[in-house]
Amino acid sequence: MIVRSFRFIDLETPVEYLNTWLTPVPHFFVRNHMHEPSEVSPDTWKLTVGGEVDTPLSLTLGDLSRLASHSVVNTLECAGNGRSLHRPQVPGIQWGKGAVSTASFSGPRLRDVLQQAGVKPNGKHVMFRGLDEVPGKVPAFIRSIPIEKAIDADTLIATHMNGAPLTKHHGFPARSLVPGWIGAASCKWLGEIKIMESEFVGNFMSPGYRFPNQPGKPGEAVKPEDTHVVTALNVKSVISGPLDGSKLRTGKISIHGAAWAGEADVAKVEISTDGGGSWNPARLGHDQARYAWRLWQYEWKARPGDYSILSRATDTQGRVQPNEPVWNPSGYLYNAFDQVRIHVA
Amino acid sequence: MWLENNLEATVLKFCGRRSHHLLTLLGVAILGLVTGGSALAQSAGKTTEDLPAGAMQAKATTACAECHEARIILQQRLSKAAWTKEVDKMIKWGAVVDASDRDALIDYLSTNFSPEKPPYQPPRTAARIAKTSR
Repeated sequence: MIVRSFRFIDLETPVEYLNTWLTPVPHFFVRNHMHEPSEVSPDTWKLTVGGEVDTPLSLTLGDLSRLASHSVVNTLECAGNGRSLHRPQVPGIQWGKGAVSTASFSGPRLRDVLQQAGVKPNGKHVMFRGLDEVPGKVPAFIRSIPIEKAIDADTLIATHMNGAPLTKHHGFPARSLVPGWIGAASCKWLGEIKIMESEFVGNFMSPGYRFPNQPGKPGEAVKPEDTHVVTALNVKSVISGPLDGSKLRTGKISIHGAAWAGEADVAKVEISTDGGGSWNPARLGHDQARYAWRLWQYEWKARPGDYSILSRATDTQGRVQPNEPVWNPSGYLYNAFDQVRIHVA
Repeated sequence: MWLENNLEATVLKFCGRRSHHLLTLLGVAILGLVTGGSALAQSAGKTTEDLPAGAMQAKATTACAECHEARIILQQRLSKAAWTKEVDKMIKWGAVVDASDRDALIDYLSTNFSPEKPPYQPPRTAARIAKTSR
């Protein structure tokens, strides 16, 4: 894993590992905003559900395990994935291309828990509080999602990942799983759920995780009132092989990678071997699920030379991966064409 | 694997509460031993890193490393205006910086971590996945 930070821990998946439909947990990227909770005992951990509900709840891990479990294969991507590629550069963890991974998450549906608590008619937003240990006066990690997404059949209180209990790095004993949305929506080490009349107001809702309503000039400041909360992921593809800078022999070369589109499906992935002059369709892999990436491959007969290989994805909403990213002050949602340069001899 | 995971958790917990570089170094050394000396091998000697020399090195280390390691700073390439915003945000979030040191700290960071500097090269942990791992 690429070490962006050990304290607090932020590990990036090397791009060459983005080549399996399900990412093995040890290769799944890790994004922590602050320190992991020191002590979380499965015997004493409780998840409280309160706010605009008829019956506040205090649920144990055993309570969650007795609810019907549902599985969702989801591609989780940090909103800041690709931040280091924005120009001018912006502050934050300088992710390359690998703050993204895919796993099968399972646990009770959030809506089953909300139904048990009885959401009042004025409950319009669902707030998640993580048990992260907060250094100094850093604001606690609290975010909210609209009730419509919270009661979606695929929104979970996930306790398992790829068939095993969540590891500590991934939010043991429970995290929210908000499929198709930026990773920050899927709050780790969940300790509290609160139903609110309006969106939660706090650092990780504003100024954090906001995107300009209209693209501006790179480097230009954006007024807070001209931004909105980042929710669903956009359309994107990455090349997991060959690697940038590779020196390869002439003949058949497999160009491969992954593509995803948040709440939409990937319609196609195209490859250019001439720097964008012409595009050829890649073959999409068989494995698919609503919120999961598609692996793709393009067989190319290469002749000697220096090449710029590009990939671009198109989704079922008609969104196309652009040539240039939309610059924004926090470096979110980078999704320009992916590119590797290779030498064939 | 159990031992590795638990030691890692212990190390990270310890490092999460203390900013002492020696403790972090010790923890990573233990990790390396437990994982057969392979984990973090590529980053040997770079598991903790220091801020660059300069008049503000010690004060910057004290102010910043209380909450996070130096690597988070080393990877930034920002203009002076952006560093100014970051320093003021961190002071608001609890970084202890004397008012008389603020400008010197901004100068130190924007000189050492400007957009003109070459990119930071992060270390890698060694692959430790078995075929049977989920």
